[in-house]
Amino acid sequence: MAESTNATLTTPEQPAECAARRFLYIWEGPVRIIHWVNFFCIIVLSVTGYFIHDPFMSAAQHPYIMGHMRHIHYVAGVLFAVSILARLYWFLGGSYYASWRAIPNPFNRKDRETFWAYFRFYIFLGQKTPHLLGHNPVAFCAYTLLFLLFFLQILTGFALWAQADPGSTLYAVTGWVFGLVSNQWVRWFHFMVMFLVAGFVINHLYSVVLFDFKTKSGEISSIFSGWKPDHRD
Amino acid sequence: MSDFRELLDSHNITRRSFLKYCSSLGALLAVPAAMTPKIAAAIENDNRPPVIWMEFQSCTGDTESLLRANRPSVGELILDHISLDYHETVMAAAGEQAEASKHATMEKYKGQYICIVEGSIPAGADGVYCTIAGQTAVDILRKVGGNAGVIIAVGSCSSYGGLPAAYPNPTGAVGVSDLLPNKTVINLPGCPMNVDNLTGTIVHYLTFGTPPAMDRFGRPKFAYGKRIHDNCERRGHFDAGQYVENWGDYGHRQGWCLYKMGCKGPESFHNCPTLRWNEGLSWPVMAGHGCVGCSEPGFFDTMMPMYQRLPNVPGFGVEASALKIGAAIVGTSAAIFGAHGAVTLARNWKQVREAKEETREEIQQTIDADSDADK
Repeated sequence: MAESTNATLTTPEQPAECAARRFLYIWEGPVRIIHWVNFFCIIVLSVTGYFIHDPFMSAAQHPYIMGHMRHIHYVAGVLFAVSILARLYWFLGGSYYASWRAIPNPFNRKDRETFWAYFRFYIFLGQKTPHLLGHNPVAFCAYTLLFLLFFLQILTGFALWAQADPGSTLYAVTGWVFGLVSNQWVRWFHFMVMFLVAGFVINHLYSVVLFDFKTKSGEISSIFSGWKPDHRD
Repeated sequence: MSDFRELLDSHNITRRSFLKYCSSLGALLAVPAAMTPKIAAAIENDNRPPVIWMEFQSCTGDTESLLRANRPSVGELILDHISLDYHETVMAAAGEQAEASKHATMEKYKGQYICIVEGSIPAGADGVYCTIAGQTAVDILRKVGGNAGVIIAVGSCSSYGGLPAAYPNPTGAVGVSDLLPNKTVINLPGCPMNVDNLTGTIVHYLTFGTPPAMDRFGRPKFAYGKRIHDNCERRGHFDAGQYVENWGDYGHRQGWCLYKMGCKGPESFHNCPTLRWNEGLSWPVMAGHGCVGCSEPGFFDTMMPMYQRLPNVPGFGVEASALKIGAAIVGTSAAIFGAHGAVTLARNWKQVREAKEETREEIQQTIDADSDADK
C-alpha cells in the first residue's frame, strides 16, 4: 500500500492524491478577508480611539496630530462598518458553516448535548468534545455577544461622529441614541466596549490555541487558508 | 407713532440702531436680511401678546441674565416693552395685586400669552416643596402654562430639571415639558440662559407666530444647532494636539485647548462661542475654564466630574473612572484565561512530559537509523 502511494506521488502522468483530499474547505475567502479586516480595524480603532480619549503624545513633533488621529479613526470606522455589514450578508447568504444555518438549535437534543459537552470541557468537568467543523457552540455564543457589541459600537460611533453636524442625514439616522442615553454615557459606553473587545481578544487567542492542540482541527491555520483537516471518520 | 418709538427716543436710541439690532436678530435666527422690516414691525406692533414669567425652584440666575446689562440695550428695551405682566422678582406689585394682574392677563389673553418658566418644578411629595399664593408649583404651571400660547422654559432647571434634579433629587424636580407633554415648550437651557437667545426666540414668535425650528430636545436650532467644540476659538489647538495639562501651565497661559481638563465642549450644543456673554464680551472657555455642558439634558449628573472626560461609575465602593473599569475588564479576562491555561497544562502535565519524551526518542531513533544507513 505504502509502495503504491509512493508510486502515484512520483508519477506525474497519473493524478496524485492531492493533499487537499485530506482537508475540507470550511472558511471561504470572504469570511477570512472579513476576519482580517476586522483584526486590522480593531487594532487601528483601539489605538486611535484611546488617543482621542487621552491624547498622550506631544504635539511638538506632530502638528495636527489629533486631526490625523480622528481622521484615521473615522476611516477605519467606516471600513469596519462595511466589513461587519459584509459579514452580516455572508451570515444570511453565505456557506453553511459561516451562515445562520450552523446556529446550534436549542430545541435539538444533539445540539444541546454538544453545547454542554463543550461547556463542561471549558470548566474542566469533561474531557470529550464531539468533533465539529465550524464554530463550537460555546464559541458561537461568544461571537454572538461580540457582534452585538460591534453593532452597538458602530451605532454609537456614527452617532457621536454625527454630532458635528446635527443637520446631517447621519444624525437623523443615528441621533435617536441620545434620546435614550445621555451624550456622556454614550461616550462612556463607546470607550468601554474597547476594553470588552480587548478581553474577548485574550479569550479568542487562548481558545484557538487550546482547541488547535486538543482537536487537531487546524483552528489557527484555517483562518489563513480556509482548510480544516478531515476527521469525519 | 407707536409708544415703542417714544420708548426708544426716551433712551436716545435712534431708529437706525434699532433696525441694526433687528437685522442682527435676523442673523441670529438665520433668516434672510429681507425679513428685517418684518421683525421691526413685529416688535413695534402694539398688540403683542403679554408675558407671564414664573419662577419656581431656581437661583434667579436667568432673571439676572435678563437684567444683567449695565446700560439699557435695544434688546433689553424690547424685553421691557413686551408687557411683562407678572414677574415675581422685578414686578412692583405684590401679594393680591400681583395675583390679580396675573389672572387678568390670563383671562384676557387666554391661549395667546407667552409663558416663561424659570426654575424646575418639584413634583415630589405632591409638590409641597414650592408653593406660591397657597398653590403648588405643579398646579400653577398646569394652569398658567396650560392656557398659554407658547411656553418658553428658560435655563436648564425649567428645561430638564437642572441642578435641583441632580442626584439624589430630593424634591423630585422635573422640567416643564415633563409636566406638560402636550404643550409646545421651547427649551432655552443654559446655566443661565443667554438673554439674546431669549430675545431671539420671542421675536421669532412675534414675527412668524410659530416657535423656531427645534432639535430633539426642544431647543431652538438657531441657538443650539452647533456644538460648542466645533465653533470654539481654541479648536485649532485641539486638532494640533496642544492641550492644557495643568491649571496655570504654559499651555493654559497660551490659551490652548482645555480638552484634557475635562472641557465638555465636544458634548454640548450651544452658541456660546459665537454669541458670547455679557454683551459679547467673553464666555467660559475664553476666560480659561472648560465648558461644563450646562445646556445639555442630564446636566448636572452626566457632566460630572467637571475636570474629567468621562463620567465615573458609582457602586464600586469609591466611584470608578472609565479607565479603571476598562483595565479591570482586560485584567479579569487575562486572569481567567491565564488561569485556565495553567490548569489545563497542570492537568495534562504528565501526558505532555511523556509525549515530549516519546518525541525525543523517536527523533533519536530516526537519526540513528539514518546514520546507520549512511554507514
